[in-house]
Amino acid sequence: MIAYAANLATIVAIFAILAATLNFIVGYAGIFSVAHAVFFGLGAYAGAQVALLLMPDALLACIAGAIVAGGLSLCLALPALRVRGEYFVAASLGLQMMATTLFSEAKAFTGGIGGLVGIPRPTLFGIEVGVLPLALVALALILFLTARLQRGAFGRTLQSVRDAESAAEALGKNVAAAKTLAMAFACAGAGIAGALFALHLSFVNVESFTMDQSVLVMAMVIIGGTGTLWGPVVGAIILLSLPSGLAFLPFIPPTEVGAVQQIIYGLAMTLLMIFRPAGLVGDLSKGRATS
Amino acid sequence: MTGPQIARRALLGTALAAPIIRPSFAQGSDPYIIGTLFPMSGPNAEYGSLFTNGAALAIEHAAADNMLRRPMRIQAEDTQALPQQGVIGMTKLINVDKAHYVLVGFTSVSKAVAPVADRGKTVTVNGGAVGPDLAGLSPYFWNVIPLAHLETQAFIPFLMQRNLKRIALVYVDDPLGDAILGLLRTELPKAGGTLAGTFSIPRTAQQFGPVAARIRQARPDAVYIASFGAQQAQIIKGLRDNGIRTPLVGYSALSIPTVTAMPEAEGVIFTSQKFDYTGGSEITRRFAADFKAKYGSEPGAYNANYYNAVRLFALLAKELEAENATVDGENLRRTLLRVREFDLVGGKGRFDDQGNMSADIQVNEIRGGRVVPIA
Amino acid sequence: MLFLQLLLQGIQTGALYALTAAGFALIFGATRIFHFAHGTAFTIAGYVFLACWRIDQPVLGALAAIAAAVLFGLGMERFVYRPIQRHEGSFFTVFVAAFGVAVVVQNLVGMIAGRGFASVDTSLSMAEEVLPEIFLAPIFWVAISVAVVLFAALSAFLTRTHAGVALRALAQNPDLLRAYGLSSNRLSMLAFAVGSAMVAPAAILTAMTTGLNEAVGHHVMLISMAATIVGGVGSLRGAALAGLMLGVAESVALQFVDTQWAEGVSFLVLFAFIIFRPSGIFGVAQTR
Repeated sequence: MIAYAANLATIVAIFAILAATLNFIVGYAGIFSVAHAVFFGLGAYAGAQVALLLMPDALLACIAGAIVAGGLSLCLALPALRVRGEYFVAASLGLQMMATTLFSEAKAFTGGIGGLVGIPRPTLFGIEVGVLPLALVALALILFLTARLQRGAFGRTLQSVRDAESAAEALGKNVAAAKTLAMAFACAGAGIAGALFALHLSFVNVESFTMDQSVLVMAMVIIGGTGTLWGPVVGAIILLSLPSGLAFLPFIPPTEVGAVQQIIYGLAMTLLMIFRPAGLVGDLSKGRATS
Repeated sequence: MTGPQIARRALLGTALAAPIIRPSFAQGSDPYIIGTLFPMSGPNAEYGSLFTNGAALAIEHAAADNMLRRPMRIQAEDTQALPQQGVIGMTKLINVDKAHYVLVGFTSVSKAVAPVADRGKTVTVNGGAVGPDLAGLSPYFWNVIPLAHLETQAFIPFLMQRNLKRIALVYVDDPLGDAILGLLRTELPKAGGTLAGTFSIPRTAQQFGPVAARIRQARPDAVYIASFGAQQAQIIKGLRDNGIRTPLVGYSALSIPTVTAMPEAEGVIFTSQKFDYTGGSEITRRFAADFKAKYGSEPGAYNANYYNAVRLFALLAKELEAENATVDGENLRRTLLRVREFDLVGGKGRFDDQGNMSADIQVNEIRGGRVVPIA
Repeated sequence: MLFLQLLLQGIQTGALYALTAAGFALIFGATRIFHFAHGTAFTIAGYVFLACWRIDQPVLGALAAIAAAVLFGLGMERFVYRPIQRHEGSFFTVFVAAFGVAVVVQNLVGMIAGRGFASVDTSLSMAEEVLPEIFLAPIFWVAISVAVVLFAALSAFLTRTHAGVALRALAQNPDLLRAYGLSSNRLSMLAFAVGSAMVAPAAILTAMTTGLNEAVGHHVMLISMAATIVGGVGSLRGAALAGLMLGVAESVALQFVDTQWAEGVSFLVLFAFIIFRPSGIFGVAQTR
């Protein structure tokens, strides 16, 4: 039971990092990305390659994941600087679809659809460690940074960009730099989550980095509450424990278990959006963050 | 993944699990838990029910025969054929349900759960995926299905004999497709054939008209399809609709009702493990008759493989019950390696040191919606 | 010769893409609702037709498919989008709600109709050699004529009828429309009804050619959305043309690249358009 709970907690923590970083660009900068799984994947592949080729040092893997994902966030920053709203969502969807094809084909880096197997257990300065504490530390760090950035000058710039981009520009804010930096921070965070994910599962393949995954992370942010510090974490906990919780229900016929889970999960998303669109945590904070 | 680390993990695992396991030993009638990690939702859900049907029938038979002192019960976890879901389900099966034996399908899920099986010393058996990279993942990871390279290897002489010398390959670029590509590339020329063209397709592809146009240019004698699931049906319809009249061939993944029932699939030739439902062993005939009575359709290779997987457990557990030994991963593996050969559906199943089964391969043709063995 | 074959195949696929894309563009243009469940209407229509076909009622099936798609579109508008928009939900909220519905329907369809591949068995989709090396199925002509007739009907509706003109006005200036005393609620229901009806013919033809599975809606949705953006939001003609173009690009690409890249090509086109010409082919330059 403890091992099961620890495993679930690790997955939750990793997805909470993903959701928190996505929330940073969605909630504070108004950039609606549906390609977060791409950067999750980049980090996972980078971390896995470091562990496989150099050494399974968790810190090194996380740094590699952050650098690769953060660096390549420019791919998404480019359309983010040019378009907003639905256009940007479409651009990020396009990026997501192309990345899925690339992940399946770039076998030297990703192992193709077969993926990378036998990723060693992580160590920290030579001592073997579990992924759970690492993931929790990373999550805490990212939440702390988010809170700091949000209150600082950078956060205010971002919020002004979100609420009135042209006005922010007129006031002399460097909108392009602010957006690019926000993207880099969020994607680097996703990269760290990816590296931890690779170390935790000891196996990664492209199926974990598809559009469905991006949408799942997005749903965590929305259900939890955009633009709130704890919303994404709550969203991650709920969406990930929902299927696991349902698995304990004995009265669902075994062949329909999956379908019933998915139906409840879909229904919950829709109903929440209708009756509590600010998300579960949203109402507790000052107000709606998204416009 | 080095030795000492695994040992440490395993020790930790048993230490934590021990207090919870012990009470359940007191009750002798507690069922054996057969965990299943199949896709029960999503695009590959069709396989999930096929796999489960076979396993469920084996449990019924074992109960009817009083093979074991304790009953068996299926505990299903949905993987949607995704590795992450697989790992979550596997840790639940091992740690919460205390599964004695886990059934799994699909290559990527198998590869993802194998390390978990290894750490938890829980025997995990694949009867669906045939990627050659599934051999030797862990001492506790077995295959009750001959892996694909064995099938393709046995198929080439048949193709040559039928004078199907120029083969075009439509494949999904995963380890399975790769293995078949590699085999055809090296073995076809040796046997006197040629690989006329190779066409890699994404797993999500739905339109095959344009691919068909490219295949026609290659002028093959036959088209080899190396995909799986519903996509195979789409490929077959796409090729047939778009003017490909040459024979379509493939491997055991084609033996699903979605494919066999479609009119376009008439004449498709594919390999599978050898099953002779009318003239075979008594076990084989009983399986075929009862399967038809229970589910109203002819059994396919997957039904049989998962029947075999559960039957294998029952046979091993029976040995262990006779010795009064605990039914756990280590003892199951010890018994498997001691006995080696088992009476299963289709005949004798022989296991090698890694736990991979080899069996005879037969060639089938789809005729009038039925799978007919032809060689 | 290969090129001509690929081009013709691309046109057949593209004609169907154009129909679904036009439906999506109509809804999005008129109501500004990012109807992510548009693909779900496609799935429902396809399976309804399939069920009727199996009991030998193709005509009834076609009508039922259209009715089902329209009902679904109206239901989404009335019970999902309108309540959300009442408290000014962001378009992202709308997106998530629609995605939830898509997940629910996909699984319900799987439970009821069975999972995996299903197709309508007809000789219409069987290609014959019409020219040396060129194979065409009768359904090619069906798809083209259905698309042409529907577009003619749609543009007549939008330019000649009172309701159609009002719909176009709604797209341009909803406030003005309200000032003239027209109900934007009723008009957006009309947009949903017409837009959703457009997917039914495409769904029926797809059931005959490539076949259906319960997850087919995703792909339809992505293509419709891409076409709407590439064509320029607000332009029906643009969306239809872009849909046609995406279908052709996906197919003709095989002349130049290996088969596994075909799908990536459509999205590369989309990505390039957003970066270099975000207003699309026919769109007005937007100050977004």
